[in-house]
Amino acid sequence: MTALGVAAPERLADLKRRLPTGARLHFSVLALVLVVMAFLPLVVPESALPVAIRTLVFAIMAVGWNLMSGYGGMFSFGHAAFFGVGAYTNAYLLTAFGVSPWIGMIVGAGLSAGVGVLIAYLCLKYKLAGSYFALATFAFAQMFLLVTLNMEFLNKSEGINIPLLPEESWSMLQFDQGSLYYYWIPLVLLGVAVAVSISFVYSRPGQFAQAIRDDPTAAESLGIKVMKYRLIPVALSCAVTAVAGAFYTQYYLFIGPDQAFGLHVSTDAIIPAVIGGIGTIWGPLIGAAVIGPLSAVVAGFLRDPPPFLEFLYGTSGLDIAIYAILLILIVVFLPKGIYGTIRERRRK
Amino acid sequence: MKKHTLVVVAVAVALGMSGCSGTSNVAAGGDSVDSVTIGSIHPLSGSLSGVGGLMNAGAKMAVADINEAGGIESLGGATLVLNEGDSQGKAEIGQSEAQRLISEGAVALIGTYQSDVTQNVASVAERAKVPLVIDVAVDDKILEQGYSYSFRIQPDATSMGASGARSLIAMGEATGTEIDTVAYIHIEGAFGGSVFEAFKTEAEATGITVADEITYSGANFSDATTQVTQALASDPDVIVVTGYFPDNLLIAEAVNALKPDIKAVFGIASGAYDDNSFPAAAGEAASNILSANYHYSATSDRVADIRTRFEAANGESMETASMLSYQAVEVIAAALEESGSVDPEVLRDAISALSLTDPLLEFNGPIEFDENGQNINATVVVMQVQDGAVEQVFPTEIATKEAILPAFSR
Amino acid sequence: MLTTERGRIVLGLFAITVLGIAAVYLFGGKDSNLVTQTVVTGLLLGGVYVLVSLGLTLIFGVLGIVNFAQGAMLAMAMYLVYFMVSSAGINPYLAVVLSAPIMFGFGWLVQSTLMNRLITDVGHSRPLLVTLGLSLLISNTLLMIFGGRPLNVPSPYAGSVQILGAIADVPRIIAFVGAVIVAGGLIVILRKSPLGLAIRAVAANGTGASLVGVNVKRIYAMTFGLGAASVGVAGGLLAPFTSLVPSAGDQFTTLAFVIVVLGGLGSVPGALVGGIFIGLLQTVGSLFLPGSGPLLLVFGMFVLVLFLRPQGLFGANK
Repeated sequence: MTALGVAAPERLADLKRRLPTGARLHFSVLALVLVVMAFLPLVVPESALPVAIRTLVFAIMAVGWNLMSGYGGMFSFGHAAFFGVGAYTNAYLLTAFGVSPWIGMIVGAGLSAGVGVLIAYLCLKYKLAGSYFALATFAFAQMFLLVTLNMEFLNKSEGINIPLLPEESWSMLQFDQGSLYYYWIPLVLLGVAVAVSISFVYSRPGQFAQAIRDDPTAAESLGIKVMKYRLIPVALSCAVTAVAGAFYTQYYLFIGPDQAFGLHVSTDAIIPAVIGGIGTIWGPLIGAAVIGPLSAVVAGFLRDPPPFLEFLYGTSGLDIAIYAILLILIVVFLPKGIYGTIRERRRK
Repeated sequence: MKKHTLVVVAVAVALGMSGCSGTSNVAAGGDSVDSVTIGSIHPLSGSLSGVGGLMNAGAKMAVADINEAGGIESLGGATLVLNEGDSQGKAEIGQSEAQRLISEGAVALIGTYQSDVTQNVASVAERAKVPLVIDVAVDDKILEQGYSYSFRIQPDATSMGASGARSLIAMGEATGTEIDTVAYIHIEGAFGGSVFEAFKTEAEATGITVADEITYSGANFSDATTQVTQALASDPDVIVVTGYFPDNLLIAEAVNALKPDIKAVFGIASGAYDDNSFPAAAGEAASNILSANYHYSATSDRVADIRTRFEAANGESMETASMLSYQAVEVIAAALEESGSVDPEVLRDAISALSLTDPLLEFNGPIEFDENGQNINATVVVMQVQDGAVEQVFPTEIATKEAILPAFSR
Repeated sequence: MLTTERGRIVLGLFAITVLGIAAVYLFGGKDSNLVTQTVVTGLLLGGVYVLVSLGLTLIFGVLGIVNFAQGAMLAMAMYLVYFMVSSAGINPYLAVVLSAPIMFGFGWLVQSTLMNRLITDVGHSRPLLVTLGLSLLISNTLLMIFGGRPLNVPSPYAGSVQILGAIADVPRIIAFVGAVIVAGGLIVILRKSPLGLAIRAVAANGTGASLVGVNVKRIYAMTFGLGAASVGVAGGLLAPFTSLVPSAGDQFTTLAFVIVVLGGLGSVPGALVGGIFIGLLQTVGSLFLPGSGPLLLVFGMFVLVLFLRPQGLFGANK
């Protein structure tokens, strides 16, 4: 399984030998990170595994969001739409036609990329930018939520259950509870997502997209097809996010309108990327690693507080309040995100 | 490998995933353990934290009561420990909390109030082979997955809709009130929809016309006047209501403002109308509103004692949901006593075979589960707000006050 | 007024609304009393929406902050009023007058200690995340203090009156009147006072304003404070007919954004007209669409407005 975790990016790295040294360095770091992360479940307590898996899902979503909003410069406040399309596509195909989740994942990614490109195309055609773009994507995610609530074939508000299988199955992506595959598979998916990010950033379309982000007028005057190179990161971003959605359904065995399209899903994709550093390769990962376990750690700390804080025990809401304060402090005092700020300090 | 371990440990610390390893006390099949852990999962924060907190307090009190009475005798007087989980009202958090509780040694789980969270927790319980006793969660679908480790004490949505209809009809006959047409206002979604469908089937079989079905979105509802006016347009004898606390409160207030010529407002599985805070919150609008719902037994001395002590300890009235959490702990304790084992699989069989007499709720008989895990004797009773208090009014053998029907004299 | 573009828009929207309602009366196939009731309810609901949106149009319109904490601040104001009413036994509408300055102080503090550190940002992500954190912090603090069980603020003027054969709840009428008064007050402040002049200058051109000696950060703090004070009034006026839970304000956050964009960022009259329009659209829509249908209608219209007239009804042409 660890081999799996390494193989994909290494092969990619092989293919991209001609890439600039920056990309090669990133691929090497990625390989190293994946290897190290693969051993994580062996040292953390069993109860931390679900938190680690949820963190990986956040990380995939954040890597996806970062492609569109960080490198593409289009602030999406509706990534729930793309996450949900991936999740529901997989759940529907599996329960209605018995399609393997691996295929469901790919179909969902394709569909989500299509939906994302359509939405972004409309927004860009009507020249929405900044907050307006964000609110438009948000409105689409809300509409997806409301439409799903009224769709008979998607079980309306009841959502879709993935049936339990009598035994583990690779083809149906289902394992025993607590199986480490549930950790390693999203780890590999995350690896692929980061590899996609690196390849995109250093590719010609990626360079164009960043040029457009920084100065659309200048980019256009250089003859870059603005619309085309804005939509490429959108498509990639939505596809990556949809993969997270498909894996989510397989791991949690249930998807409902709120789990798929709820507002908190969009913020779950944004928070790690902003905390870690927008528009950087490693920001979303670092952000997810910090923010994913944070609320669980705070809650765990309050469940078993040191003697002088004993009086806090059992105060409901306190854990989330502390989480909120930490979130605010990180955002306010690390303007470029954790990774971005560290990188800047080192450059100076 | 050793080199790696160092790196990995460093990463683990960096990720902040340290700690959290609970003390496991599962001695499978063992007869003498010091303590047995039960995991509870409720929404302790987020928008449902009010009721979640009460439920958690109910479970805690049950554990304390049982320990005070000598613990689990067949396990050598082992004490119960409640490990509390917070679902935050989110399905995925509920799932990870369930996994945490099990890995920290819980031999059984109780929870979770919300249907979607319960779905996720039930699948965790099933896969981990640890029994889950559902205190509150209404969707029929939860027990239709073929799971064998999930049990539910309260009635499901369909049975509540059907028995709500039967109660309404019987009360109409008993009081000589003619009920021919009803209009139904319910919250959008599986809960409201399945209660309504079951009500409609049962009511129409006895010749009652369901003249109108009006749904509203729970996510955005701050005035019910339009919905109630619409319901009144079909000139019904009774308006039937299903939903949660804030929305049902708005409906009662709108009815009170419109003062229509109807015979009753009849809640089925309503989150408000039999809640003890409803009469104060709605004031005049609460008066004489009927509610068919599962309810703590207002005629039992044992329940009265528990409720008095609960209120003294928590400063808040003990609602039915909270009583169900208390009851869920009792179910698990009885099964532990019965089996003399802390092996979750043995415990499951014991719960499945259980017949727990003297339930804390106004049920048809002892708590017994069918092959799907549904308590076969779970049922609803009808309550009515009279003189600012929630009273049981039907069936007459458990009534604390006589029903007032027609409820309004206009 | 009719010669300006703005005048034409007001007139157009008014005509659409009247024609729409007339069409519902004539062709809706609904009882006319029902329609009248729906229109009255819709207007009153619109008043609620206006109250909630007024603060946001300043915060979002002038400061450009996607204020996620709008709903939480609303709940905070409601609890503030609840606290004053239940502990000191004062009239809730008097409590509103007291809660507004407290909320002003809170808003001023948030802007000057937190948000002002972020104004150099080109993106929107950090202010958004801070307000998201703030929203979590406020609602969970309320939870810790007051618990999650529903509380209520009794209105001394509970009851209802008849308007054109329709029933109208008195506390809601008070809220509607309050919405108009707050809107009028904000318009006067923005147009006539030196503070208003400074706010408009900063909104139009921050750098320019600072060059002529305006303390931009101070004006920002005052603007957030003013927005929060409006929320304070809104919370107080809504409390008598709301089940008070820490998340009571959340359902208004999204709709407030819709209304503010519809009306035009930073436009107080826009929020007034937009709020009433959305209230009517949603309520009349619920006559024909079940469940969340009317909400879908609202979002559909929102997207159309974004595409076709992103500056909103009352926004300046860009």
